[in-house]
Amino acid sequence: MLGTMNRKISLILLALAAFYLIMTYNLPSYTYTEIDADMVPKGLGWLLVFFSVVLFFIKDSETEEQRERRNIPKKEIITLLAVTGMILLYIFLLEILGFVAVTALFVFFCSWFLGYKKFITNAIVSIVFPVVLYMLFTQFLRIELPQGILPF
Amino acid sequence: MGSIEGIMTGFQTAFSLEGIMFVMIGVLVGTFIGMLPGLGPISAIAVMIPITFGMDPSTGLIMMAGVYYGAVFGGSTSSILLNAPGISGTVATSFDGYPMAQQGKAGKALAIAAIASFTGGTVSVVLLMIMAPALASVAISFGPPAYFGLMLLGLTAIASLSEGSTTKALISAVVGFMAVTIGIDPQTGTQRFTFGNANLFEGIDFLVIALGLFAIAEVGKLIIARHDDSLSEKQNVGSLRITKEEFKDMRGPMSRQSFVGFFLGVLPGAGATIASFIGYIMEKKIAKKPEEFGKGSVKGLAAPETANNAATSGAFVPLLSLGIPGSGTTAVLLGAFLVLGVQPGPLLMVERPEIFWGIIASMYLGNIVLLVLNLPLIPYISKILNIPRPLLIALVIMFSMIGVYAISFSTFDLYMLVLFGVLGFLMRLFAFPAPPFILAFILGGMLEQSFRQSLSISNGNFMIFLESPISLTLIILSVLSFIFPLLKLRKKKA
Repeated sequence: MLGTMNRKISLILLALAAFYLIMTYNLPSYTYTEIDADMVPKGLGWLLVFFSVVLFFIKDSETEEQRERRNIPKKEIITLLAVTGMILLYIFLLEILGFVAVTALFVFFCSWFLGYKKFITNAIVSIVFPVVLYMLFTQFLRIELPQGILPF
Repeated sequence: MGSIEGIMTGFQTAFSLEGIMFVMIGVLVGTFIGMLPGLGPISAIAVMIPITFGMDPSTGLIMMAGVYYGAVFGGSTSSILLNAPGISGTVATSFDGYPMAQQGKAGKALAIAAIASFTGGTVSVVLLMIMAPALASVAISFGPPAYFGLMLLGLTAIASLSEGSTTKALISAVVGFMAVTIGIDPQTGTQRFTFGNANLFEGIDFLVIALGLFAIAEVGKLIIARHDDSLSEKQNVGSLRITKEEFKDMRGPMSRQSFVGFFLGVLPGAGATIASFIGYIMEKKIAKKPEEFGKGSVKGLAAPETANNAATSGAFVPLLSLGIPGSGTTAVLLGAFLVLGVQPGPLLMVERPEIFWGIIASMYLGNIVLLVLNLPLIPYISKILNIPRPLLIALVIMFSMIGVYAISFSTFDLYMLVLFGVLGFLMRLFAFPAPPFILAFILGGMLEQSFRQSLSISNGNFMIFLESPISLTLIILSVLSFIFPLLKLRKKKA
């Protein structure tokens, strides 16, 4: 089954191009100009259609190594999803609990989850880094990070 | 302001206490990040951008330039010590650098790399100093059609940025261009593809894309490879001394490749990777003992190291004088300029000479810092390679998060970062190169603007692009520089 992966991707890209084109053709027009905001997007949409079709028909030039790269064990996929989940939770809690607290928790649990078992080093790093960065940003660079539940 | 005065201002900026300090910080941090497997100059620059907020633009940019060539040098170090090039620009370095390290001469290899980098870097800064202002003074009279031609020339880099399939590289670029059309159109005020979401009115921030497609996507790869211990095997660095004989061997490649690398760096799309390979191949061809190459040859190490550093400075020529990036890395660097409110291009030299010349002047300093500071510190810096993977992964995620949050103060952008991280990871899996995406994202906005401005001038007549000799020449050059690599590729395959 040569090229099936390319074909699947090309269909996804075609769907993306179609979606983009539909939105482009529905853009409101602006009366006072000859060159409207939809001109370039229209071109881009059709260009993507063209390249997707090309991708559908060209011979798959993928090397064995590239194919091998896609061969991720199921366990690792679950790990990847779990880390993504942790990141999403981090973002969700960032403005609620504050930068230092959430980051410390994230760094600690994320590295623990990924197999780092030295608790004390891990705890020190996950507290020191966020505190130092928080000080650097808020005091030195004058960029506010979410303070959250911390008193300072 | 005359150019002599401009140069003086630039040197004053670069050699001020602040300037020196931030060059050192930039080079050190760049070397650090560049050494980490998987993280190259793009991630290094993107991660460091938030630190420059609130800095004086010239200081900030001097630091970013330091991060850039520091990261290129750091990549060489991991190529030599681990045979794990952080970036494609230092792959050729590992050909002879790693065998040398295996023979217990890692220190010597690092010293050769440092001296070659220093030579390539310094010679090309001199060339940069001559060429950039000349090019800028030509480009200063460019109108929108000529600008369109320039941007187009920048985009042709895509053809050579593709690692395998050109079609995939082009698709990556088109989608990158599409991403930049999101937001309020600056010319008509029309909302495009925002779905009424106020967070999208100003478009997607380039840092979200740069950190997502590179840093976060690399994290995915690191997670899968976290059990791979082969990367953390310890190398004894050994003595850094180079004999007279060896230095004699280095002289030829260094003097030739400084120039070759520089000019390849100036061309869009060529950049450090191609320069290092061409440098390597060229020296092998003219060497008296080509059979030594690949087994720890001094020449084989000096050539790509000189060439990739020379190309790094060469890439500053179109960036500083024309405002067009020729590679993914310089595209991110251009983004760093824009974040600091500086628009690189022909006007930069006239309007902000302290920035234009400051960056160039700082590169002399940066090259010295690379040599003096890094060489003795290498055994210590290389300890960073022993950082446990899980911790490294968590910290890279943390840095990316702060970076994005510090520019937008909204969690919406953080979710976007995750989205682009996933996209970048998938692109890697399916062999779609990410550099064309970021290049098109950065150039796309400017390309569209100059394209529509030109057509507004001509009332929609496309002939405007062919009427002016400058834009016509640039368009022809673009077509040629786009087709040439493709033809070469085809020849290679056949």
